[in-house]
Amino acid sequence: MRLLTHNMLSSNIKGVTNGFPLRIEVEKVVEKEVEINHDFLRNIFPKIDWKAFSDASRIMGYVELPEEAPEPSVLESDLEFLRKFHHALLELHLEEGALVCPETGRKFPVNKGIPNMLLHEDEV
Amino acid sequence: MHSIPCNFSVFGYPVISSSMKEIKVKDASTLCTLLPDGEPHIQQSVFVGEEQRSSSISVKSTPELEKKYVHCVYDAIAPHFSSTRFAKWPKVSAFLESLPTGSLILDAGCGNGKYLGLNSSCYFIGCDISAPLIKICADKGHEVLVADAVNLPYRTNFGDAAISIAVLHHLSTENRRKKAIEELVRVIKKGGLVLITVWAVEQEDKSLLTKWTPLTEKYVEEWIGPGSPRVRGPSAFTLESIPETEENGLGGHTKDSRENTENMHQSMCLTPENKDDSLVSKDGSNQQEYFVPWHLPYHRAEVSGASAGALANGLAKKDDKKGAVVYNRYYHVFGEGELERLVSGMDNAVIIDKFYDKSNWCIILEKTLLGLKHLQDKDTSPSLI
Repeated sequence: MRLLTHNMLSSNIKGVTNGFPLRIEVEKVVEKEVEINHDFLRNIFPKIDWKAFSDASRIMGYVELPEEAPEPSVLESDLEFLRKFHHALLELHLEEGALVCPETGRKFPVNKGIPNMLLHEDEV
Repeated sequence: MHSIPCNFSVFGYPVISSSMKEIKVKDASTLCTLLPDGEPHIQQSVFVGEEQRSSSISVKSTPELEKKYVHCVYDAIAPHFSSTRFAKWPKVSAFLESLPTGSLILDAGCGNGKYLGLNSSCYFIGCDISAPLIKICADKGHEVLVADAVNLPYRTNFGDAAISIAVLHHLSTENRRKKAIEELVRVIKKGGLVLITVWAVEQEDKSLLTKWTPLTEKYVEEWIGPGSPRVRGPSAFTLESIPETEENGLGGHTKDSRENTENMHQSMCLTPENKDDSLVSKDGSNQQEYFVPWHLPYHRAEVSGASAGALANGLAKKDDKKGAVVYNRYYHVFGEGELERLVSGMDNAVIIDKFYDKSNWCIILEKTLLGLKHLQDKDTSPSLI
């Protein structure tokens, strides 16, 4: 699971008012290089909840991201920032661990990089 | 239509109403038993209505019919199914290629991930309810998760576009099909597009229909006394041996891409007004609920191991002649205009395209600002409303 996905995931358990962000429990993180796409990064940036993203990257072991979201203009020219943004967003993988609902504490397992977000009968 | 009182528990749901009422047929997931002797072809006539169900059962709760005849089947056949699903449907490819560079595209019900990554300038996230199918996607390097299309675990307004290719016809109630469409629209940004395709009642190859089994009251759960419904499996069918497999045939997803092109040309000439194509059961009413077989070769069945259980509890049958385990997949095939009707009540989406292609009904929606739909409706042709 990449942090891009994590930034989109929300607990949809019945009764939960705000299931975002899911707290990450790390067992195994893997880094996999992937080609950078500046257009994509610029398109995605406004959608990202920066605090959740930055916090998650630290839990995954990456400390290079600023805690405050930079101004969008930074993405136009700051290649170094783009590289770090790209790395944290797309190249860090939670291979084993869990995503925890912030309100109920319910754990959604992540195995072999795949989160299982299916709810039990009593959670719908 | 017969009027027979129903007061029983089906598919494990508690009895909702004790009053004896005649209620219009609506959903395959609440089939009730009639089984009058000597009347094998009577259309099911009494169902517990949606209104009654929804009060105690969430639309997000998976009906047993889908657990047995969609989820279990795909889990058991995943690698075989995946091996037959590689031809990219031109209409879907065209839609994906038309999206702006840098788009985030969500594929809900992505199956074996056939369309993930199709547009190399975009980023795809796929989800499916079948863990074995998702594993196949992950092994190819795609970003995927296991999730339910009726309850997407995504924040609202996040994606740029969404696709639902041959998914909604596996949902057994109208409310669940509507919910899945609402979810597709919810998770994308305003101005974003959704492409939905579903199998059509109006099949181009009518000979395929002979290989499908319509859901009739022969396949129902029986009420044998208070509090104890007994499940009857497909062994209760008089299921004729199926001469042909469905692996490649249906919905235009055939191996031969040349064939695809030709089929596509023919379908463009097909006028939706041609009612002769629609499926009609013996008593004249429209049949839309079907079991469509899947033949899993023995050697594949042995590898997966799931078939032993399926055979033991009657969810699958052996066909020694073909050397295959036969599973049934549940389908609600869509009639002309049905997708539009499902969308018509939505106040945050408008239809920007709709078409029939290779035995599938297809629709493209755009997410609008709330209220804008009412302004735009004035400009649409009457047939869309």
